[in-house]
Amino acid sequence: MKLPAIVCRGGSRTAPTIKGGGLVEAITLTINGKTISCNPELSLLDAALQNGFSIPTLCHHPDLKPFGACRICLVEEEKTGRLMAACVTPAAQNMVIRTDTPRVLSHRRNIVSLMLAAHPESCIVCDKGNRCRLRQVAANLGVGEIRLDPMPSDQMPDQLNPFIYRDLSKCILCGKCIRADHELVVTGAIDYSFRGIRAYPATIQDKPLEKTGCTFCGTCVAVCPTGALTTRSVYKGVPEREVDTVCGFCGVGCRLRLGVTGGLVIEANPSTDTKSVNGATLCVRGHFGHDYLNSSKRLTRPMIRKNGDLEPVSWEEALQETAHRLLMLKEQHGPKSIAFLGSSKCTNEENYLFQKIARSLLKTNNIDNNGYAMGRRLLNCIEKRTDGSGRFHFFAGSLAGLEKIDMVLVIGADPTHSMPVMGYYLKRGAVKGIPIIVVDPRKTELADYSTLWLPVRPGTDADLIHAIAALILEQKSHDISFVERFTEGFRGYADSLASLDLTQICKKTGIAIDSLKKAAALIGHKKIAFVVGDGILKQRSGLEAVEALLNLAMLTGSIAHKGAGFYIPAKENNMIGAWDMGTIPDALPGRRLVDDREARMEWEKAWQTELPAEPGMDLVHMIQAAEKGTLKGLFIMGENPLRSLPQPERLQAAFAKLDLIVVQDILLNETVSNAHIVLPGAAFSEKEGAFINMEGRLQNLTAAVKPPGDARPDLDILITLAQKLGANNPPATLTQVRAEIGGVLSLYAPTARSGQLVWIQKRMRGGSTIPFSPIRTCSQEQPDPAYPHLAVIGSQRYHLGSGTRTSQSARIGAFNTGCGIAVAPEDALKWDVTDGDMIQLTSVVGSLKGKVRIDKKMQPGLVWVPLGDNSNMARCLIGLTPLMDSDSPGWNTCPVLIEKAEEETI
Amino acid sequence: MKPPEIDWQKLNTLIESRKTEQWGLIPLLQDIQKAFGFIPPESVEPIADALGLFPAQVQGVITFYSGFSLAPRGKFVLRVCCGTACHVKGGRSILRLVQQDLKLKEGETSPDYQFTLESVACLGACALAPTMMVNREYFGRLSPPKVAGILNYFGKEAQEEE
Ligand code: SF4
Ligand code: SF4
Ligand code: SF4
Ligand code: FES
Ligand code: FES
Repeated sequence: MKLPAIVCRGGSRTAPTIKGGGLVEAITLTINGKTISCNPELSLLDAALQNGFSIPTLCHHPDLKPFGACRICLVEEEKTGRLMAACVTPAAQNMVIRTDTPRVLSHRRNIVSLMLAAHPESCIVCDKGNRCRLRQVAANLGVGEIRLDPMPSDQMPDQLNPFIYRDLSKCILCGKCIRADHELVVTGAIDYSFRGIRAYPATIQDKPLEKTGCTFCGTCVAVCPTGALTTRSVYKGVPEREVDTVCGFCGVGCRLRLGVTGGLVIEANPSTDTKSVNGATLCVRGHFGHDYLNSSKRLTRPMIRKNGDLEPVSWEEALQETAHRLLMLKEQHGPKSIAFLGSSKCTNEENYLFQKIARSLLKTNNIDNNGYAMGRRLLNCIEKRTDGSGRFHFFAGSLAGLEKIDMVLVIGADPTHSMPVMGYYLKRGAVKGIPIIVVDPRKTELADYSTLWLPVRPGTDADLIHAIAALILEQKSHDISFVERFTEGFRGYADSLASLDLTQICKKTGIAIDSLKKAAALIGHKKIAFVVGDGILKQRSGLEAVEALLNLAMLTGSIAHKGAGFYIPAKENNMIGAWDMGTIPDALPGRRLVDDREARMEWEKAWQTELPAEPGMDLVHMIQAAEKGTLKGLFIMGENPLRSLPQPERLQAAFAKLDLIVVQDILLNETVSNAHIVLPGAAFSEKEGAFINMEGRLQNLTAAVKPPGDARPDLDILITLAQKLGANNPPATLTQVRAEIGGVLSLYAPTARSGQLVWIQKRMRGGSTIPFSPIRTCSQEQPDPAYPHLAVIGSQRYHLGSGTRTSQSARIGAFNTGCGIAVAPEDALKWDVTDGDMIQLTSVVGSLKGKVRIDKKMQPGLVWVPLGDNSNMARCLIGLTPLMDSDSPGWNTCPVLIEKAEEETI
Repeated sequence: MKPPEIDWQKLNTLIESRKTEQWGLIPLLQDIQKAFGFIPPESVEPIADALGLFPAQVQGVITFYSGFSLAPRGKFVLRVCCGTACHVKGGRSILRLVQQDLKLKEGETSPDYQFTLESVACLGACALAPTMMVNREYFGRLSPPKVAGILNYFGKEAQEEE
């Protein structure tokens, strides 16, 4: 029996209404004397562009619905003499089109002249400069002098926020910003107000953008043809050159176009790559947060701690010392006394070489990365269930599926904040009528777009899912044929579902039976896309919930079906690549388990050395071993555990016990300050390599600038280190590293060929069935009267994770993110606090103070604490417990005591 | 006098009644405009929520039509025509007269919420130029004495109300 094979293609984004393709009969028409044939669904503009003719446009954008506002794309039909706007006129049989008759040109000139007459004189100093479409179009038409009375608009610029400069006196009313805001990012912060000469793209009550729903994604800035919307910047003018690469922040993996002047990255925009995951969109981090690259905290020289202080040294000395001390530790305390923390932000090649150094030269499997906290348990769980053979069945792949699937279940995830571009896919799907169920104790932004919001009590998700599955089974609305053909153990599963006490579950989860029934009715007979976030992956009883979700996926046949399956938000850009390259304690590159003899032998052959067979320590166990004194040395590449992990004091104490801490990073951060040796690496914009995004898309980076000062690309550092550690004949260039990876893992071989879209996923090995797992209910947490409230910790879009890099962005720093600690109005009344007051949260392990933000969407008894802000203080509340253990309280919520704090002036 | 208090309950009933209607926005705005004399800006968000629109879109529709207003208007809305025919026949002077008499500029509402003054570009009664309207009533072939009479009449009416 075989699982249905699925074809996976690159993600096409929102479909414009006029588009090519399909099986309709072609039509013929003539453009500028040339007879062409095309699809009748094409507009005249697209037909002309496809055949190599150029027509100027101002209001047209391929990703937006045609609008026909500017009329600059006028063309003439020779037979009728009619003038028509090419972007909104469908191509028709036997048309005879001219794109450049004197009449057409004269009309275009008049239109541009009218636009320029309403334009201010500040054109010369406009930051849009040569990239202004209006200027280009005017120049191409030879419109220099206008000969009309100037009638500039009196709109005042909105310049309160640090991201976007809005000078509507330069607006030509093309409506692109509005359409992008509605159609692409579905925010609705702006729309036209008034009409005729008074019309302009307005916010609600003309408030500044930050007082509207604007998320500062900057998409409107990217599409604006004029200088009306520009990025606020300390750099003036147009960049010297532009380089396309991949965003360095989250796992969506947006394609960026970096603007470079004088060896510095001065701006970021979405690339024009039509196959990119993001299209014309980005989020606030990608668009405006990359100014951290020029932070004064960038590391520029290698350093060694001498007499208590970090002192600059030569690369030779730093690397020699690193190698010497690592080898000493191995000699004296054995390989298990050393651990390696790789990075979900570094490239595949870097992670590959990093773990190879650890495994082959220092003989330790103590390797992990920050992906520890972000979904690996789910992967492990699927791995176990499918016997390692069909792990990819469950993963959905292309985000485009979210706009095509029957329905979406978002559970414990807040993608509009954590991965905004993924949020756009979900919101666009909702607008198209795809039902969304949001399971979250908080009413997230996405809940506003959902069909059903289930405010589940934290930690009881597994029971909720079981109950929904039971109801689906009761209605017989599951996928019977899938269950019969591809699963086993169904009877036992069905029996245990039937014996569930639903009343009890309603009580436990806080969800009424009616809501459960509604959910079951929405899910029944449908294929589901599951978006599973921190609320599950980092939560108490998360494992049970994951098992329950896998069962539900099998029950509904949401496996190996296009668009269905699991979408796991990868919070960091190369979380998937770091796993795939083996920067984890229990698997080699290619995700083959270390205790699998065959897999080990394959790599032993490739590396010509013996490899340790026992899985190593994960992140939390490394810290615990440091506390115990069994771990002596830690090599950290591109991670900042002292900011990102829970319980900073405990971590600090553990680090203090280590004999050696080597940190290879780009910013002077909390962890670097505690290092013995510092190796300055390169940011994503300063090196070559590849990332794999959350979809499984392999994308190559292009270096835009050189690393600052003496800093070096991380791969170079690792290559030299490998030599110093005594590797014989190690790969010496990026190409050689890639060849070595591709030699064993053919799936990753295409990394060597740049510039094309490659997917790492969907290798079906048919032949097996997947077992249902027995249902396990959630362990109930005993409420502690000393900590009667519950704090939920969550991401916010202005910071990536703990905010090591985003907090170094001058723009984000200058912005009042307005996050604060979200409190329900009822609770605010009870605690006698109001917006801006300070409250103190105390948990078993620590406490923090923060400003109150009253939020109508919060449920009484819950408060929400944002990650990233305020040196990521949220981490002080949670305990550093191993996440994989089923009795772990998790890192996502924790019981707290809330008190009004003394007024402080900050 | 203060601007009229908003009866939220009434407003919510109106919104509720059009919530599920397709293309319900304009009828709903008309209901509200009629019941309150304007569309309270605070109602834009609830309207948008109920109809599944963005608040900015609702505002866009309100500001597009001159029949809707986001500010409370006077009991009597005076629309003085400044269209071509009326312009030729001295519509501007009529407007100036009204402005002086009511001490209002175009688009303004008197502090006692009795009068709102607007100018329009043709009332569709050019044969009677120069023209103006008070609420739904037409007045044509205007002259200074006639204007004074009209203003006097409505001024009295306003006072009697109090
Ligand atoms: S602000 Fe820019 S994008 Fe928006 S309507 Fe004006 S010119 Fe077009
Ligand atoms: S920045 Fe984004 S959310 Fe804000 S107005 Fe522009 S498109 Fe809309
Ligand atoms: S942070 Fe993520 S969503 Fe934002 S631009 Fe970068 S890759 Fe895209
Ligand atoms: S590009 Fe066709 S009307 Fe603007
Ligand atoms: S111009 Fe005044 S009524 Fe027509």
